[in-house]
Amino acid sequence: MEIERDQRRFKQIVRGRIRENLRKYITHGEMIGRKGKEAVSIPVPKLDVPRFRFGKNGSGGVGQGDGEEGDAVGKPGDGPDGSGGAGSEPGSGHLMEVEVSLEELAAMLGDELELPRIEPKGTANVVAEKSKYNSVRQTGPESLKHFKRTYLSALRRQISTGNYRPDDPKIVPIKRDKKYRSWNDIPKPQVNATVIYLMDVSGSMTDDQKEIVRTEAFWIDTWLASQYKGVEKRYIIHDAVAKEVDEHTFYHTRESGGTRISSAYQVCADLIEKSFPVADWNIYIFQFSDGDNWGDDNRQAFELLGEKLLPASNIFCYGQVESPYGSGDFIDALHQEYGENEKLVTSEIPDKDGIYKSIKKFLGKGK
Amino acid sequence: MTLRENILSQLPNTIGKQHQRVVAIDGPRTARCEVDQCDQLAVAVYELVLETSELANVEVAALHRASEALCKRVTYLLEPISPIETDADSCIVQMRSSPPQQHENGRFYYELMLRRGGAVTMYRYEKQPGSIRQRVAANITHEVLGRLVDDFNTTVEEVNGA
Repeated sequence: MEIERDQRRFKQIVRGRIRENLRKYITHGEMIGRKGKEAVSIPVPKLDVPRFRFGKNGSGGVGQGDGEEGDAVGKPGDGPDGSGGAGSEPGSGHLMEVEVSLEELAAMLGDELELPRIEPKGTANVVAEKSKYNSVRQTGPESLKHFKRTYLSALRRQISTGNYRPDDPKIVPIKRDKKYRSWNDIPKPQVNATVIYLMDVSGSMTDDQKEIVRTEAFWIDTWLASQYKGVEKRYIIHDAVAKEVDEHTFYHTRESGGTRISSAYQVCADLIEKSFPVADWNIYIFQFSDGDNWGDDNRQAFELLGEKLLPASNIFCYGQVESPYGSGDFIDALHQEYGENEKLVTSEIPDKDGIYKSIKKFLGKGK
Repeated sequence: MTLRENILSQLPNTIGKQHQRVVAIDGPRTARCEVDQCDQLAVAVYELVLETSELANVEVAALHRASEALCKRVTYLLEPISPIETDADSCIVQMRSSPPQQHENGRFYYELMLRRGGAVTMYRYEKQPGSIRQRVAANITHEVLGRLVDDFNTTVEEVNGA
């Protein structure tokens, strides 16, 4: 069909436009608010349609009028001023909303950042039973009656018993003709993954910094969800004290307490121990802070990191968002202590433009 | 002689010298000023501290209130000061320039701490892109130095009176 071909072509153009601007979408969090369950609505700049462009009045060109050959040509702007008015057409900044599935968005992200596919832990396969309607039985609820099979069975019976009359082809199923759809339980291997986000919400973390964390977490979520079915997400916030919270609280809380990163590590370690057996789960930990840790807390934090979190996780990502004061030095201490550990990935995020590089660094290992 | 008068009276001795320490004692309170450079009008202060044992057993809430009052009084520096973080475990309130001063080649800000134990301190920091923050000297007039010592003194009195 012509219209379907046009529609496909239009979709390709739109997808191409999104790919072109993906970097902009990654670094600006505007689409997060547009996220539905399966798709994201993305504003795409209006696609240009060819059209005539009119020049300025009196700016020359071939004309018709009262002039004689040899008359001087008037200069632009010599004529009387016209009165302008507001245009009735929409401006060129008008945006078109396009729905893109999260899976497709993840694929675009993977292409754009050249992200490798994730290799799940070998021992993390958990077998789950999944029902599939792939057989027929003699008994069952009427709602699952297989009409075609029932009809054929009745037809076969009537022909074999001589009750079928071609001039009056009535087929009347009796109880033993009835067939019902039935299911079998099929073992289906599943890979379990959990993403645990840790965020510093102390007084020195501003709203701008939390916006950076929010945007980065959205893209990490999108990518990991495309790699694993049913990713479990957990959120931990901390200042001097840490607690597990829901997603909304994670992004919208601001405290004024001091910064003790060890408190978040402790809550995270307890959560893993309680809910996510290391042998069965792929565990991803993403921590975001301005790195302005108080006093001698680094020592305690590193103990927990080295003994509990790094051994339990596939990868431990620490993103240091630069505070207005630039006073965070946790990342330097982390490098000194665990710089050689291959599970640790660190990234400094100076501003929104840094999100792009940071995501690539975090997810580029394919773990 | 008050702490303010004592500190200011010692400043002329530091003119033309570098890295001098000026100390003034008034009962349980000691004001200490690390002077980087000094002239007739102004002084480059690397560290200003008012130490006292009077803050040994204060509650964090009292420290927080006193820090808010201190920020309202100290309006004469290069940037306004606000409480940023309060650590209830260690009983420390951290105050900083809010917002910090932004330059092409970096940011500058004051950091004041009020801690149980106790002390009121003031430092100035510079953060250049791509490097860790550095403590730098705060350039203030003699008058402003005297006023800071007075305001720190008032803060200690407020915490004690709470």
